[in-house]
Amino acid sequence: MSITSIERSLWLLLAAFMISVPWLIPALINGFWVSVIAEILIWSLFAASVNLLFGYVGLLSFGQALYFGFGMYGVAIGIQDLHLSFWPAFGLGIVASMAMALITGIFAVRLTWHYFAIITVVFSLIFYFLALSNKWLTGGDDGINFTLPPTFNIGGFSKSFTDSTFQYFFILATVAFCFWLMHRLIASPLGKALVAIRDNDVRASLIGLNVYLLRLIAFVLAGFLAGVAGALFAFFGRYASASYMFYHVSGEAVVWAIVGGAGTLLGPVVGTTLFIIVREVVSTHWEHHALIVGAVAILVVIFAPKGVVGLWNDWIARIAEGSSTEESGVTKLRTDP
Amino acid sequence: MDKLLLLAMNGLIWGLIIALIALGLAIIFGLLDIINLAHGDFFMVGTVLAWATLQTTGSFWLAFIVAPLIGFAMGALIQRIVIQPIHNVAALSIVATFGLSLILQEGVRITYGPTPGRILAPIQGTIPMFGVDYELYRLFAAAVAILALGGFFLFLNHTQLGTWMRAVRHDRDTAVAMGIPAGRVYVLTFGIGFALAAVGGVVAAPITTVDFRGGVDILPFCFMAVIIGGLGNLPGTAAAAVLLAFLEGVIQSVADPTVARISSLVLMSAVLLLRPQGLFKGLAR
Repeated sequence: MSITSIERSLWLLLAAFMISVPWLIPALINGFWVSVIAEILIWSLFAASVNLLFGYVGLLSFGQALYFGFGMYGVAIGIQDLHLSFWPAFGLGIVASMAMALITGIFAVRLTWHYFAIITVVFSLIFYFLALSNKWLTGGDDGINFTLPPTFNIGGFSKSFTDSTFQYFFILATVAFCFWLMHRLIASPLGKALVAIRDNDVRASLIGLNVYLLRLIAFVLAGFLAGVAGALFAFFGRYASASYMFYHVSGEAVVWAIVGGAGTLLGPVVGTTLFIIVREVVSTHWEHHALIVGAVAILVVIFAPKGVVGLWNDWIARIAEGSSTEESGVTKLRTDP
Repeated sequence: MDKLLLLAMNGLIWGLIIALIALGLAIIFGLLDIINLAHGDFFMVGTVLAWATLQTTGSFWLAFIVAPLIGFAMGALIQRIVIQPIHNVAALSIVATFGLSLILQEGVRITYGPTPGRILAPIQGTIPMFGVDYELYRLFAAAVAILALGGFFLFLNHTQLGTWMRAVRHDRDTAVAMGIPAGRVYVLTFGIGFALAAVGGVVAAPITTVDFRGGVDILPFCFMAVIIGGLGNLPGTAAAAVLLAFLEGVIQSVADPTVARISSLVLMSAVLLLRPQGLFKGLAR
């Protein structure tokens, strides 16, 4: 069996598992874990927005929580104050976070590296404090609770997030669609241009790429991913809160993305899954689970600096190398009677 | 007017304490290229050490000896165990120090407890200043902070170790070629960085609260000072810390603290975009 066919069957296995979750997990463990997996999906998408910037453009954003928060508040304010139904509220959340990413990005992508990391966290802190102080609009730390309108209401047929299986599949489909979009983006000429900037921005500008514009596009796209994640999380929790705009939330996503493997499509998913499962499993037995989370973060960067997926890829590459020399050995035997 | 003076004065003194902590951050940042997300927690460990010293020995003053020593030892240990294996790669340092921050906070939560506590100021009483009765301890805190800042700059500019630190920061390869043990300088720098934050914690402990989350608010403030002062410009960092806290104090006398914080963040964005080399480039070096 070749490496690609192993990877393909692993993908199929993953897809089959994800689809069977609402029935498999309650039977195996209990229903609570279905919502944990839904939460993992949402946070994976958020970590993917960090990964798009850091792993593919080389910009380390420490302020993605700002766009996550705008996605959340777009939905919450849309439903609670503007009395929108499901889809317009979803759209409002996404548009709000992309618009915010555009406005802040115009300034932020002028800077690189340390300065970029710091200006993104400064922007997110400004809006965090604004959200805290403008309680009339945001509810501050307490946030806004809202009742969720139905997702579909065609004729008498109505579906909403109160149906937990529907909620799970809606989140799964949205997240999978976003990851598919990101996969297409990376393979496209735009994606190649972004990677060229990551590897050497001077050379990229010398071959005629508009580095500033491309970085801005990537920043807005990352804002889109974070915004979708935030909007989904608002639907999922039926609330929005300023506390999700704090820099700790951004920091967690950076950790998840790097631990999973920056610059790989699935890295953020792996990192997020690892940390949330550790948190959920340990926190039921031991109050001080943060110790374990901290230790895992440190151990991974010491022993697997390319992240878990990077480790896996190296391992695969080594096996492929081993099997190819074996094959050449075989052919040598055959051609040499 | 009284309120303005009081808050401006508080801001100034708070700024001197922040300057100590921010200097620790700046030397770690400048020398090791480490974005240290645990630095606020180093400060927090200082406040807890002050509390612990007071509890066990009954003397607050002893903390000024105990906290820097323990801080230095912890910093040196952290450099050897956590920072060295990742070879000063900035992206990895963010993850590692984030993990460190979680461990320190949770460690304090286990040992000290989750509820914030207060330390009674070891110097009681007030002194009339500009028509307001000002707390004596705060003046003492300012004096200690100034002494520590002066001591640090003397150390940096007039001792062999300080010269080594500056040399390694300036040009690591040449420094190594000249026979400076860069590895040991890194350990030393991290230790001193932690110790500075811990001293800041001891000085601040009677003014603020002792809380396992006490470092969370300090961290962005220290980063602001480092950036506004200019990366690698240590006197600039100290000056920026004092300036920022003073400004926040003044703004707090007319608006609420959040507005003050937002305005210093906006100031910082402007500095980043217009003068990324820092406000004081060319003035002090």
